[in-house]
Amino acid sequence: MNQFMTMSKINSPRAPLAAQSLMMSHGPHTIIPHLDIELRTGEVTAIVGPNGCGKSTLLNGLARIHKPRQGTIVLDGADIHTLPARDVARKLALLPQDNSAPEGLTVTDLIRFGRHPHQSWLSQWSEDDERAVRKALRAADVGDLANRPLDTLSGGQRQRAWIAMSIAQETQLLLLDEPTSALDLGHQIEVFELIRALASQGKTIAMVVHDLVSACRYADHIIAMCHGEIVTEGTPSKVITTNLIAELYGVACDLMHDPVSGSPILVNIRRVHPAKPAEIT
Amino acid sequence: MNSSLDSTDTGQTPLHLTPGHWLWRSTTRHWSLLINKRSIVVNATLTLILLACALSSLALGTLSITIPDVILALQGKGTTMHTFVLEELRGPRLLAGALAGASFALAGCLMQTLARNRLATPGIIGIDNAATAFAVASVVGVGISAAPHTMALVGAAVATALAFGLAGATGTRGYRFIIAGLAIGAVSGAITQVMLSSVALDDANAAYPWTVGSLNARAPAAVNALIIGLIVGYTLSLFLNRALATLQLPEPVTASLGTRSGRVRVAGLILSVLLTGLAVSVAGPVGLIALLGPELARTISRPGSIPLTASALSGAILMVLSDLAGRLVFSPLEIPVGIIAALAGSPYLLWILLHKSPDINR
Repeated sequence: MNQFMTMSKINSPRAPLAAQSLMMSHGPHTIIPHLDIELRTGEVTAIVGPNGCGKSTLLNGLARIHKPRQGTIVLDGADIHTLPARDVARKLALLPQDNSAPEGLTVTDLIRFGRHPHQSWLSQWSEDDERAVRKALRAADVGDLANRPLDTLSGGQRQRAWIAMSIAQETQLLLLDEPTSALDLGHQIEVFELIRALASQGKTIAMVVHDLVSACRYADHIIAMCHGEIVTEGTPSKVITTNLIAELYGVACDLMHDPVSGSPILVNIRRVHPAKPAEIT
Repeated sequence: MNSSLDSTDTGQTPLHLTPGHWLWRSTTRHWSLLINKRSIVVNATLTLILLACALSSLALGTLSITIPDVILALQGKGTTMHTFVLEELRGPRLLAGALAGASFALAGCLMQTLARNRLATPGIIGIDNAATAFAVASVVGVGISAAPHTMALVGAAVATALAFGLAGATGTRGYRFIIAGLAIGAVSGAITQVMLSSVALDDANAAYPWTVGSLNARAPAAVNALIIGLIVGYTLSLFLNRALATLQLPEPVTASLGTRSGRVRVAGLILSVLLTGLAVSVAGPVGLIALLGPELARTISRPGSIPLTASALSGAILMVLSDLAGRLVFSPLEIPVGIIAALAGSPYLLWILLHKSPDINR
């Protein structure tokens, strides 16, 4: 891609979070060699790609969890690594895949943690804190579970409680790493609809998603990654092609369109090169 | 007005968001304090128990003194004999024991929280052993001239630095740090044995209390250092408390909430090592207090809170009780406090290994 074009696109003032010439490593291994990305205000961006393609690494880099080897991440026009951790925490929330919490912690206890970047020794529970937690309970529809310990909840309820914690953080940006993994169909839809509702309130959201159909259905913008690089990006109907799916996952399939939403659906998925009988041992 | 808004939103009485807490807010909205009721009750109860244990410890021994006589003597109205026993023998010993116990347990609570692992206490990861090895080196005179209690502190710092270095920068959480510490502890123990077996019997005897943990060998200078160290360490750890609470969540969440976990970890580790080194310099390696104290505190405290104060109080209680038991059980023969603590603590350690997850959250 034209380097110039990419640069000017990233410098556009509307991107609340962007990365320029990002290089991320894990020890001696380079996971992401060179990558430019920007998130669009008020949109849901889904990052898709095969296992080990660097999706989570990218998300962790964008969220300032891991420091990039090279390149800069720009949050609201400033290099994220020059900003105080607390300021970043007031603008950007991350929900990782592994969500373990202390035994016995209740839903409200957890959501209150979301207020941490807004609190201090002299302001331990302000009216703003209270308002934000109430709002989060309502938005994630966990008001009825407020005083239940997390370990007594179902997977979907627990995930909603964690999202509520991020909502209470009152950040403009929300990054989610596989928010629906390990959830059944009903709970997946619950979480995706909550994410859509948050976007409609103006939050900018990026999520790593494994299920392509859900990504197409619930995201405004799709970024397809492979080997630490962005293969293509754009609206679901433009990006998702049989070629791309073959490139990402090594499978062939046919595409249909959801009669209701119009988003792409994958059918007749099969291996590109069927295994020869001799290879099966 | 606010409450009516809430009740229309939920269709019922407004939800209490901070159950179990007292809330004070200034009318100017400049400050607000949220006090955990359970921690107040727990800490007050533990303080009372500690006072009761302290009084028993002063009263009981080869010469039994009745509680009223103890109180008279403390007011300066007791007999010469009682005053001597309390002021010269039992009083300083009690003080040293309580302070060392509190330090051990506070250090244990800090380190367990930083590593998110029950087994990551200074005693288990070998800081005690290293401190002991350095102290013994000083006692038996292996080319070192500094006082044993100074050397204990140096030993604690060296062991931690080594464990930290060997585990790698990110290793304080989880097993790498523990395994590295275990190895350092084993090497330190072996070095202690080599030193003891290669010096004259008198020197080895002089070093013996250092190897088991005893309140007999305390040096006044070490106790004074411990008093200052505990006050400073406790105060600083309270400042870390808010950040420590977020360390209970998964690492990326901790960072996403604005906690600089690397910095918090280094600060907590330094405090933990300081407290352990000072406690070892007074009482020797009574490391199991660092495991038992925080565990007791955590069991009775509110889930999700970091019971720093309750750990320190529990540690002091356990230390005073262990020492009392050591003095009474085979009286007039005295069993070192370290052995009592080990006898009481080892079954518990075994129980953790067999039945509980080492993860502090479970």
